[in-house]
Amino acid sequence: MINIKLNVNGKDYDLEIEEDLRLIDLLRDRLGFTGTKEGCGEGECGACTVILEGKTVNSCLLLAIQAHGKEITTIEGIGKEDDLHPIQESFLENGAVQCGYCIPGMVLSAKALLDKNKNPTRKDIREAISGNLCRCTGYEKIVDSIEKASKILQQRGSESHEQL
Amino acid sequence: MGVTRVLKAYSIEEILDVMEKYGEKVELLAGGTDLLVDIRAGKNKGSVIIDISDVKEMKKIEIGEDDIVLGALTTFTDIAENDYLKENVTGLWKAAKSVGSPQIRNMGTVGGNICNGSPAADIVPPLLVLDAKLNIKSRSKQRKIKLKEFYMENGSRNLRSDELLYSISFTKSRDKNIRIGFEKLGLRNALAISRISCSVYAIIGENNRIENIRIASGALGKYPLREYALEKFLKDKNLNDGLIEEAAEIFSHEVKQRLSGRSSCPYKKEAVKGIFKKAISFEGE
Repeated sequence: MINIKLNVNGKDYDLEIEEDLRLIDLLRDRLGFTGTKEGCGEGECGACTVILEGKTVNSCLLLAIQAHGKEITTIEGIGKEDDLHPIQESFLENGAVQCGYCIPGMVLSAKALLDKNKNPTRKDIREAISGNLCRCTGYEKIVDSIEKASKILQQRGSESHEQL
Repeated sequence: MGVTRVLKAYSIEEILDVMEKYGEKVELLAGGTDLLVDIRAGKNKGSVIIDISDVKEMKKIEIGEDDIVLGALTTFTDIAENDYLKENVTGLWKAAKSVGSPQIRNMGTVGGNICNGSPAADIVPPLLVLDAKLNIKSRSKQRKIKLKEFYMENGSRNLRSDELLYSISFTKSRDKNIRIGFEKLGLRNALAISRISCSVYAIIGENNRIENIRIASGALGKYPLREYALEKFLKDKNLNDGLIEEAAEIFSHEVKQRLSGRSSCPYKKEAVKGIFKKAISFEGE
């Protein structure tokens, strides 16, 4: 057993864990962040995507110890049920969600993109979600949703700027 | 094999200490994109895992006066986001950008790609044509070898169990006539393991004369290979469409002999022509 400290969705944790515990198992089984899904377990599908220090990673391909001292964002840190993030709103409004299994990872990949690039092209969006497989939607509505979310975020950004 | 211990190192010195102590039991965790899959399947070769992913001194891209140095823990994203490499070492940049997916590029490292020894390792062919050197250290000594001497005929690597690959370096070239290309064939654009990859480094002088050329391939042998026969054929000739066609046929013949008896042979001997033609046309430069 080893001790690790990490911050998930803004909250600090100090935990004793098995040495070979994967990050996804820590998040789901120990901390209850079950929005992070396990699909293939080999880094092919992206369902387990989380944001680690600003970058998307496959949480099935990391040992929990690699997150020691770091900040992680899971889908639970993006929005609340009664206060959705614009990306989530946009996914709902544009019918981008069918079975939903890939969506947490998809939203996190979109979030990481929009944090870096406020005005992405459709090509940028496709590139950003190329590590997230969806077997239902055919991706078009997901790309539409992310594009629209970027517009909403830009608009809100300029509105809050005007208020200042 | 089960995992008995997981240790975290923060410096090269700490890694070397643990490697010396545990010897052949050690397995290094850099990006983890291959090792975690192995651990899950019980196929890890060492039972003591050293997490080296936070060793900062091994994460760097140094564009020096004469050399370019990549720390072994440089990720594919680090390379893909580097404007100097994009402009000046395009084949290397393209290879990094072609790896897996954004998530895998954020995790996977150059050193891991080299040491894991996959025949399909994407970053190795461009580093082979750059004639890259590997900087290796152990407690007792330090050495530098050429990347082309790293993979051994018997399938092993030229690296002892107490040795660490800590950086990769290659000559920074100022010659305006240098072209560096890379092309790969996967079953889809993202998340595909290369079926064939090819990188070309060429100095093209007056009248399109090929003054110097180095060519390397991936997934066409036990490990990524320099294609010496092809290099010899092309050197000092004038680069034109006819010559490229002729060279593609020679490459195809090489591949046919090399992969003879394998089920992938009929496909690869044809497909390699197209990949080679794209790589030597330096698309995207």
